Amino acid sequence: MGLLAIGTPLEWPEAKKVASHVRSWGIEQLLAIWRNAKGKERDALLWGDEVEYLVVCYDDEHHKVRLSLRQADILQALATDEKLLRQGGGVPDLQRGAAKELDTAPVFHPEFGRFMLEATPGKPWGIGFKDLLDVEPNMKWRRKIAKDHMAKTEYPITLTTFPRLGTQDCTVPSFPVSGPKLRSQFVPDEIANPHIRFPTLAANIRARRGRKVEINVPVFRDEKTPWPFKDPSVNYNLHQWPEDDDVRNGAAKENHIYMDAMAFGMGSCCLQITFQAKNIEEGRKMYDQLSPLGPILLALTAATPVYKGFLADTDVRWNQISRAVDDRTPEELGEKPLKNDRWRLPKSRYASNSTYISQDSRLRKEYLDPNLVIDTDLKQRLLDGGMDDLLATHFAHLFIRDPIVVFAEDLKELDLQKADHFENLQSTNWQHMRFKPPPPGSDTGWRVEFRPMEIQITDFENAAFSIFIVLITRAILSFDLNFYIPIARVSENMETAHARDAVSTEKFWFRKNPFSSRSVRSTPNGTSSATPSNSRPPSPFGPVEDEYTQMSINEVVNGQTDSGFPGLIPLVESYLNSMNVDVETRCELARYLDLIRKRADGTYWTTAKWIREFVRGHKRYMMDSVVDDVITYDLVQAAERITREEGRDGFGWELFGKR
Amino acid sequence: MKLILSTSNIMSGGPSVIRRPTFEKSNTELTSSLRENFAVHQRAPTPSANGTSAPSKPSFREWTTQQDDTLYIPSHATSPLSEPRESYDITVKLFYLPNIPADRRCLQTREAINLVLQELGTTSIDLLIVSFPGITFDADDEDSDLDDPVTPPSVPTSTDDASLDAESVPEDMETIITTWHTLEKLYEEKIVSKLGIAEFGVQRLNKLLPNTKVRPTVDQINVRDCCVVPKPLILYAKQEGIELLTHNDCTNVLPRGTLREILGSGEKGVGVLAGEGNNKGLKGDVEPQWVVKYTAVVKDRGVVESKGYFAVAELNKEQVHGARR
Repeated sequence: MGLLAIGTPLEWPEAKKVASHVRSWGIEQLLAIWRNAKGKERDALLWGDEVEYLVVCYDDEHHKVRLSLRQADILQALATDEKLLRQGGGVPDLQRGAAKELDTAPVFHPEFGRFMLEATPGKPWGIGFKDLLDVEPNMKWRRKIAKDHMAKTEYPITLTTFPRLGTQDCTVPSFPVSGPKLRSQFVPDEIANPHIRFPTLAANIRARRGRKVEINVPVFRDEKTPWPFKDPSVNYNLHQWPEDDDVRNGAAKENHIYMDAMAFGMGSCCLQITFQAKNIEEGRKMYDQLSPLGPILLALTAATPVYKGFLADTDVRWNQISRAVDDRTPEELGEKPLKNDRWRLPKSRYASNSTYISQDSRLRKEYLDPNLVIDTDLKQRLLDGGMDDLLATHFAHLFIRDPIVVFAEDLKELDLQKADHFENLQSTNWQHMRFKPPPPGSDTGWRVEFRPMEIQITDFENAAFSIFIVLITRAILSFDLNFYIPIARVSENMETAHARDAVSTEKFWFRKNPFSSRSVRSTPNGTSSATPSNSRPPSPFGPVEDEYTQMSINEVVNGQTDSGFPGLIPLVESYLNSMNVDVETRCELARYLDLIRKRADGTYWTTAKWIREFVRGHKRYMMDSVVDDVITYDLVQAAERITREEGRDGFGWELFGKR
Repeated sequence: MKLILSTSNIMSGGPSVIRRPTFEKSNTELTSSLRENFAVHQRAPTPSANGTSAPSKPSFREWTTQQDDTLYIPSHATSPLSEPRESYDITVKLFYLPNIPADRRCLQTREAINLVLQELGTTSIDLLIVSFPGITFDADDEDSDLDDPVTPPSVPTSTDDASLDAESVPEDMETIITTWHTLEKLYEEKIVSKLGIAEFGVQRLNKLLPNTKVRPTVDQINVRDCCVVPKPLILYAKQEGIELLTHNDCTNVLPRGTLREILGSGEKGVGVLAGEGNNKGLKGDVEPQWVVKYTAVVKDRGVVESKGYFAVAELNKEQVHGARR
């Protein structure tokens, strides 16, 4: 999560007053960074993965599992472990050792949820194939270190959400709900990281919105689910806060599971990958080309079928997080006529991305969103500062939002050597891709973050998906692949990815031909080829609609038959065939690619499907969508067992096959 | 006449780089990227039109270049690498083809390396791997490593890619060793930093190593076998400091028939060779000499910037076209 600055946060009405101030300073900082780093060249591929854990606490006696809120203690233990520090590990926000040449220990970070932990490799990965083979052992090492600094009854699990978050008695220690910051009737304020940034973030989102966040997930209608379904856990008789009126005003929708706090979204665990590009242009290209892959990978990693003790009718976390941090006002949402606010906003600040940014001749204007909302004044400032239109548009789009957490101390003086105001907006735009300028004063290059994937139960799977994405980026750059489709179709795909079992039932818009048509090329140094008469005008574009079609995930991943889309896996294999890869590495990579291939073709189940079937097959399950304490305990234990055994004991084989 | 066929950089070439199933070793990459490059050059100069294919094939003279007794198919312009040399890892794989006497190999090797160096605008390559005709390693067949000609190859009923390797008998060790000395010279001249071979099992390595001054540091094994490489080979390679790498090329990468079809006047040919309805084509018999594949990878980014092939054949004018049929 980063950015744990200390200071005096402004409450919403005050923060709102300085919003323009923060934005304009943010833009100045961005311009300074961009000017300074736009010529940065030939940075190596470095990349990193982020794994997030839920910390659960077993109560074996009562066959119950709760979320542990001991994040601070665990981080403290990690930050003071001498051996870990000597190995270069620790907690960067508190204390960590110096990175080592070899085997730097992983590092840990706080996350929004006080029941969460994030771990990253101690040093970024390179593209050496041997590095790729270190990912899985490193992830296992991280989990072991995390576990070693927890209580005996605690365990780090990689489920996206805790199945019973928001039910009574779901945390240890226990706190009363309906606190002043979140005002949630389901979770206590103490569910969030106590660092002042997080409660302020939650409170100011609520305040800006004028009511609590509203998360309604369609409930899975099972054989005996009461219908219409009215979420039985909603309390309509609370009168502690004005926001308690929300449910009386219809916030809880029929046939939906209702949730009312940021923790239900930002308490989800994801698998995020960040890449360093060789220069700004390569970063922009990767941003664009990975964007259409977002929904595909979201559906493929689906792992979120349970909320607040009920089976949901969706398989992924995305929209829940989106709603959990949706700070739009009724005017921005289009519920009231625009009077005080500046514009209608079609998306939450957590959403699929809405821009393409590469200066690529293959980027047709038809792919862009004609109704993109931007701050025209800020865009003009960027243009005046020398930035090109596409990139200026991108940032002017991110900067339509208000800064949520503003520290009074930061408003005294504009420091162009820093990025705090820029990051204030940038890092509270949670889109499925993020284009990250180099931090001022560092040697880091332009980076792109791929954010849609859901965390998987085992480190084997998490390594597989991480490595798959890395290899895809290499294939994209090597073959100069073109995955462009209209950005609106990408957003549509994001919705499609939510459907239950979208992997095997849904179709996604995808580009048919990822290759550029080959023409006689001029040499890279600009001199034309020896046969100038051969230079051919670029072939005229056909209609955009002819470029893409609807495909199943299997077709996207494994390829269409005949001359259709070749498939992401065959593209990766083809890339690997062009590289010098040793037999052992290739064999290991084959395991990972095989998992992806078979998840896509339905041979193996997604995590979501596996969890859903586990619940439905549990002897306590009454076919009424309810996931009770006992089922949850068994489910979490099952997840732990799968993490440990990875199917070798035959359990969970639906996820990986028989091993 | 010498024919120099080239693919140019095939990385952005599209479909020719993809084939299914990917674990099938094949020469599809070479043949389809040759065809594609020819097609691009054939339609390139057509001034007339809207890009749709012309009704008849243009004369090969329009899109090839003849210099003295060498015909470049298609006309070729080099594409030098864009970054400083040290950014790259350049691997070259030279496929020696069947029925070429060892003494010609020496010249051919120089020629192949020179073409690649010119193409990439550089003076050295990092790894040169050579592939000898008829030598294929099969992890499922422990005896595949022996010198004896492979007894009845698994009944090639079709002429598809998979059976191409069955065409020739394994190169004898004497020829291999003679050829190796040529490679050692390239090493000594610092044109090549590392040498490698393809598809060698323990037996062959055992025979080759004592006869080398510069040892191979790489042995390329077919990717299909990479998870079942026999223990003895793994141990031997480790002990001898040889890295086992994967590939998915077939050994006889350009059979005569395939080349004739590509260059011929038939439906799938480009009309360089004379045939029915094309008496302007070249007459004679084509004999493939060697094929070289080059790959330039940006080291610290893992990006393949350039990859392509050259294939060289002799057109034997003395023999009337078709005489060998």
